[in-house]
Amino acid sequence: MNNVITHVVDDDPAVRDALQWLLKSRGVHSQAWDSAAVFLSGASADLCGCLLLDVRMPGMSGIELFDRLRALGCSLPVIFLTGHGDVPMAVQALKDGAFDFIEKPYDDNALVDKVLAAIEHDARRCARESSARLLRQKLDQLTQREHEVMLRILAGKLNKVIADELGIAMRTVEVHRSHIFEKMQVRSAVELSQVLGALGGSTES
Amino acid sequence: MEFLAPPHSTERIARWRWLWVLPRLAFILFVGGVGLLLWMSDRADDEERRATLISDVLWLEQNLRFHLTRNEELLGRIDAAHTTDPKAFESFARTVFGFESGLRQLIWLDQDGNMRLAHPSTMDQTLVDETIDAIPSRQSFRLARSLGKPVYGAPYPFFTNDWQFEVHVPVSREGRIAGVAVGIYRLRDLLGDSVPWWLAERYRISVIGDAGKVLGTRSKVESAVTDEGYQVSFDPPGWGLALHAVPYHAPRPLASVLLSASLVVLAMVVLWSLWILRRHVLRRQAVEEQLRREHAFRKAMEDSLDTGMRARNLDGEIIYVNPAFCRMVGWSATELIGHRPPMPYWADDYLDETRAIHDRVLAGEGPEEGFELKFKRRDGKFIDVLIHEAPLIDAQGRHFGWMGSMVDITDRKLADEKARQQQERLQSTARLVAMGEMASSIAHELNQPLAAISSYCTGAVNLLRDQAPASDVIPALDKAVDQSRRAGQVIRRIYNLARHSEHRIEAVDLAERIDAALALIDADLRQKGVRVSLRLAHRAVIEGDPVLLEQVLFNLLRNAVESMREIAADSRQITISLASADGYAQLSIADRGCGIDSKVAEKLFDPLFTTKPEGMGMGLAICRSVVENHRGRLVFEVNPGGGTVFRILLPLASQ
Repeated sequence: MNNVITHVVDDDPAVRDALQWLLKSRGVHSQAWDSAAVFLSGASADLCGCLLLDVRMPGMSGIELFDRLRALGCSLPVIFLTGHGDVPMAVQALKDGAFDFIEKPYDDNALVDKVLAAIEHDARRCARESSARLLRQKLDQLTQREHEVMLRILAGKLNKVIADELGIAMRTVEVHRSHIFEKMQVRSAVELSQVLGALGGSTES
Repeated sequence: MEFLAPPHSTERIARWRWLWVLPRLAFILFVGGVGLLLWMSDRADDEERRATLISDVLWLEQNLRFHLTRNEELLGRIDAAHTTDPKAFESFARTVFGFESGLRQLIWLDQDGNMRLAHPSTMDQTLVDETIDAIPSRQSFRLARSLGKPVYGAPYPFFTNDWQFEVHVPVSREGRIAGVAVGIYRLRDLLGDSVPWWLAERYRISVIGDAGKVLGTRSKVESAVTDEGYQVSFDPPGWGLALHAVPYHAPRPLASVLLSASLVVLAMVVLWSLWILRRHVLRRQAVEEQLRREHAFRKAMEDSLDTGMRARNLDGEIIYVNPAFCRMVGWSATELIGHRPPMPYWADDYLDETRAIHDRVLAGEGPEEGFELKFKRRDGKFIDVLIHEAPLIDAQGRHFGWMGSMVDITDRKLADEKARQQQERLQSTARLVAMGEMASSIAHELNQPLAAISSYCTGAVNLLRDQAPASDVIPALDKAVDQSRRAGQVIRRIYNLARHSEHRIEAVDLAERIDAALALIDADLRQKGVRVSLRLAHRAVIEGDPVLLEQVLFNLLRNAVESMREIAADSRQITISLASADGYAQLSIADRGCGIDSKVAEKLFDPLFTTKPEGMGMGLAICRSVVENHRGRLVFEVNPGGGTVFRILLPLASQ
């Protein structure tokens, strides 16, 4: 599954096909799903792009799917397609964090514009999330001792002081430091501090 | 009806006691008076008897004295011839005895006191011997001779049971005493001779001596005597003799006895009747007390009722109301009793109806299951009452009026009305919800293909704008055509659903349908106070579906009723007329409601157009569609009298 893609969930095949055709006419790649349950089974937290979701569907409704995705930690932007009389429900969904809703009958190009806006919004989110994920993977490679040494480096302590505090030889501290830089793919303590600052001070764990 | 409070029971008993003292006192006075009267009359009798006794005894004494005096004179007339010749003396003596003088012996004593002659001479010799000196008494002789006047001697016994005494009458001749004529009286004989028989019948006459000894008695019968006698001195002869008379027990006079007896009987009768009266009064009192208690119980029961009770006589005049009724209508019992129709509590708007039912009840044709009426309270508020009327029958079985019981059902009716409205609202809401659901589902069904078409077309436009080849665009447009066909199918399906039930076609009598529709809306009409006047000139039969036509009529009637919501209750009227002309039945429903203004009139038959807050706007549209399906027309116009007239024209059934 290409991570950056527009997902269309609608029970009506004609509507699915028409929406895919419309999106394709504006150069937006899409994937169609014929029910909420099927989409949920293939969904993951790292989906990027946009979700066009019909509110009224047999089985699991659009709103229910939205709630389930939020529960899974998936923050894919969702645009609801609502029929007549579903507006209050859509407004509630918007308050709960849906990206937007559009009422049928809709202006199709306006819909595509909303989809594009959602994709752009989500691209930033995905980038942010992927770098953080990468950093976390690097941090996970550090050993317990290396982690302790790294915290003291970030606090600006000298190798000698670190060696005294941890009761190890100065030489050993230098070996740890070089391993840390290597694993975190940085060249200096300043760079290390910058990289970790982006993560929001979550290095204590 | 107002009742006096029953007097306190002790007070009542005291009054009764006082009432009883009077007859008792009267009775005692009566008995006392009668007793006194009897006693007094008895005493008067006694006194009279005594007076008679005294006078009788005095008379007897006079009579005896006369006897004795006459005998003295007779004896004094004895002459020498008599005293010398025994024969002459005897004849003289016989003469003297012949006068019933009481004398029994005559003795002539010469001047010396020697007995010369005696008649009868053959006196009892033994007695003479024994008393030879005593008879005749020398002492009396000497006294008579010396005095020259008759002298009586003391009585002395003669034999064992009789006494006699002597009278010595000196006889003088030529100036000197020639001798003494001695007459001997025997007491018994004296009494027998001189006491007349009638006296002897009434009294026992006796002569009593010095010491109270009875010397002689004259009595006819031996019968009991009373102890109250009377005695006078018997002088002459004197010597302490006395005459004593004792009356026999005379039987009391029959009249007096009868009087006493009748008085006693009368007193008994009075006493008995008094006792009977008292017993009767006591019984009556007990019955009265029971009645009073019963009455108090019934009154308490009536007063505690919530049901109003109102009795009328056969003329319709109110003769009784209970407190609950007074509370109900707000008029007091005194104001209502005696009132004749129209009653003050009749509601003006329903006067005719009320009077009609009133007359029906008086005629005995009142509805047995009761009836409902509107009353107007004194304060102007209207109340609904449920009335049951029953005949009033008195103890003789005479029907004398009607008793009506009323229950105030205002609240109940109000509650019913509220419940009905609630139900109506609920139904209309349910209808709306159902309809909304259906509309929503239809909208979704149609939205899907329309949205798809829109998307295909927009996509096609986007591609064409980018100069894309037609081969790229055509498949999308083909799909759009498919979707428009799909939309058409949705609409056809809905239409088929609406046409699902096929209508019946049969002969329909419009007058019957009008009746049926009126029956359906009757509750509403009554509740809103709408009057309906029917002008069914002709019997119009058409061909069609009776149920649908009835629905049309019901809808139109309902609109008419609702259009008159804002106007006064007494002018709410619907006129239904039915006529036929030119092969068409003409049915019109005219109301006096708010009318239809021109803006509304344009859209009146449009579906989903309504002027009612909870209306759906389908009623008139359906009506017109039904009428037109019956090859008829539904039109409306302004009612000249205010309001609107809806006219239905339907072709008459061919014969």
